[in-house]
Amino acid sequence: MAEVTFSSVSKQYTDGGPKAVDSLELNIKDGEFMVLVGPSGCGKSTALRMIAGLEEISDGELRIGDRVVNDVPPGDRDIAMVFQNYALYPHMTVRDNIGFALEMAKMKKSEIKERIDDAAEMLGLTEYLDRLPKALSGGQRQRVAMGRAIVRSPQVFLMDEPLSNLDAKLRVHMRSEIIQIQKRLDTTMVYVTHDQIEAMTMGHRVAVMKLGVLQQVAHPQELYQRPANLFVAAFIGSPAMNLINVTLGGTPERPIVSFADHTIAIDARAIERYPQIVDRIGTSVVLGLRPEHFSMDGDFDLPEDQKVDFDVELAETMGAEAHLHVTLPVPVVELDGAPIAAEEGDEISTTTTSVIARIDGIHFVRSGEPVRLGVKTHLAHFFDPETGLPLS
Amino acid sequence: MSVRRKGPRATAVRALTYMLLVAVAAIVVFPFVVAVATSTKNSQDIFNYPPTLIPQESQTIDPAEVAGVDGDEPLALYAFPDSESPFALIDNNVSVGEFRPLDDLDRIIRLEMPAGEATGEVVTIDGGEEDVVTIAVDGQTIETYRSRLTSGGEFVSVDDPADTRVELINLAEPLEQFGPRLENFEEVIVDKDLGRSLTNTVLVTIAVVSGQILTSILGGYAFARIKFKGRGPIFLLYLGSVMVPFVVLIIPLFQLMLQVGWLDNLAALIIPFMFSAYGTFLMRQFFISIPTEIEEAALLDNASRWKILWRIMVPLARPAIATLSTFGFLYAWNSFFWPLVIINSGNPDGRVLSLALSTLGGRGSTDINLVFAGAMIAMAPPILVFLFAQRYFVENSASSGLK
Repeated sequence: MAEVTFSSVSKQYTDGGPKAVDSLELNIKDGEFMVLVGPSGCGKSTALRMIAGLEEISDGELRIGDRVVNDVPPGDRDIAMVFQNYALYPHMTVRDNIGFALEMAKMKKSEIKERIDDAAEMLGLTEYLDRLPKALSGGQRQRVAMGRAIVRSPQVFLMDEPLSNLDAKLRVHMRSEIIQIQKRLDTTMVYVTHDQIEAMTMGHRVAVMKLGVLQQVAHPQELYQRPANLFVAAFIGSPAMNLINVTLGGTPERPIVSFADHTIAIDARAIERYPQIVDRIGTSVVLGLRPEHFSMDGDFDLPEDQKVDFDVELAETMGAEAHLHVTLPVPVVELDGAPIAAEEGDEISTTTTSVIARIDGIHFVRSGEPVRLGVKTHLAHFFDPETGLPLS
Repeated sequence: MSVRRKGPRATAVRALTYMLLVAVAAIVVFPFVVAVATSTKNSQDIFNYPPTLIPQESQTIDPAEVAGVDGDEPLALYAFPDSESPFALIDNNVSVGEFRPLDDLDRIIRLEMPAGEATGEVVTIDGGEEDVVTIAVDGQTIETYRSRLTSGGEFVSVDDPADTRVELINLAEPLEQFGPRLENFEEVIVDKDLGRSLTNTVLVTIAVVSGQILTSILGGYAFARIKFKGRGPIFLLYLGSVMVPFVVLIIPLFQLMLQVGWLDNLAALIIPFMFSAYGTFLMRQFFISIPTEIEEAALLDNASRWKILWRIMVPLARPAIATLSTFGFLYAWNSFFWPLVIINSGNPDGRVLSLALSTLGGRGSTDINLVFAGAMIAMAPPILVFLFAQRYFVENSASSGLK
């Protein structure tokens, strides 16, 4: 077991080309479950592969424990990795797959067998030990890949989107299994995913990356409640946080935001968290409201000036809750010149902003109907539209 | 993939297609069938007219079963149109006289000599004088003259010992039965010394195929996965060499062998062919198609490059290796021209099968059945290999080892 430390580590695939990882500073503590998350191309996998030794480090220093491992070959780093496609050896039985590393380490046959049996039992693979990978289901293959990592008792586990090839139900199950295994073994784990639900549920801490740059490292709850910038705010949460270009008005005691022909008063508690609001009155800011910050009129005791009337374009009922989709004639929030919510290749209207409100499922709202929603503005977030930084 | 059309027109088209295919297949297969048949025929049967596709041998009978005949040799059986019973040939060197009745000169009566009584009279036939002879036929006495004295056979009916007749053997219809002669194969291997050539060919083939596999695996892996300076250009050069036809290389290669002193030596058939650009290309393509993650996993498992190659990559590349072996085998087994050039001093101990066959079937060869038996021996292994490795053949032709 060991901690992993990136000291201004960079990766450039071509000289003078873009940096896949840009001056990464990250300390992963001993026994910590660290999740690296971000959209595709953010450098999370590259960072992981640098720990594994599968990518050269262009610049900076990487330590595992007390050892600088920049030039240590992968096999000597005492790490184990689970690949997205599992990378099982197709011609070997489950037993041989799990035992291969031990065999390479020239361990005694009897000990190899003992370790394989232990790992197999832990993962419920005992009855499949003599099968070939192709005779296993996706979930079982995933377990074999885990077994291959566990059996070596490495200092660090690396996982590269290990659940992305599983169906949704199995993914939820394996998620909790991985959490339990990590807890039991108490080994440092670095886990890469693009799925922010995995990130939120699994990590002790989550590192959000974008275009090779680390955006925020924090406990999942903090990430959700105190996003360090617009990107994190938009990336974490599902449905995503509603980000609306608004104009601040009102008085320093009771500021209001206005957009389109709606106005909402801001609760004083929000000013405590975002004190710059007071100085920004009269300017444009970005208002961030999570879908659950909306509620049906009357569900909560909210002042009248914290209520808005929306025309519901689409109501999705999910049973326990309902999602109300609203389109506002407000230019969409942009980050680095592109609509913030856009995934690569999406066609998004830049002249309108879509908003999703999550309300209690007991209300019956139909698509096309007007509704009156209360807004818990004491939980709202405020960002600078230029820098993307919070107004705190 | 295929779209099945329906309707009478489509059925007709399909029927026609099948008929055409069957016809072409029959034409293609026919020479092979002839070869198989000929390889098991005996030395008389190959010259029988009309030729048959099924090897025949004479029907014989144990002399003990024919009344009034002694001896140990089995007797050949013949048929005559006027009798249902088969006839055994009990004596094939009987002096036979052909007599023609004076009142019917087109009729020929054959009798074992001596026969007939000279009357002393003389007749003139076609300008020649002939003695008039009386013979007894069916109880009657006929005046004839003897037109020819020749040798024939004496036949006796198997069912009726009293029914004997004298006939020219080539006018009797021999009774035949299915009789493949498998001794042909033994004979060609032992007597014609094909065994030595067979051993040589097997030796050369095994050496060439295993050599090709080894060098292709090493080369292919290096080109696929190890980064080294000039990898691209060298590979291009390598590929280019596939395009050079072999005939162009014969003279330089011959001179090289001359310098090394491998003329008339099996080494000249083995060493130059252990390196295959095509094989290297094939293996490279296959190795490239194996996910890098598998290799990376092995790297993390602390396996060396060497171990990764032999423990992970080679077992996974079995289909490509099978394809390569099949092609290498066929090439080494069938190669004729290069051995003909290099094994040229007439030293039969260095000959390979293809050479031996060409000698066996050379000018003035009468043992056609043995030539075909030799050809069958030479053909059998490639056919077997093809049957077992068909899948890899087809797969490779379709994808060059790329999956």
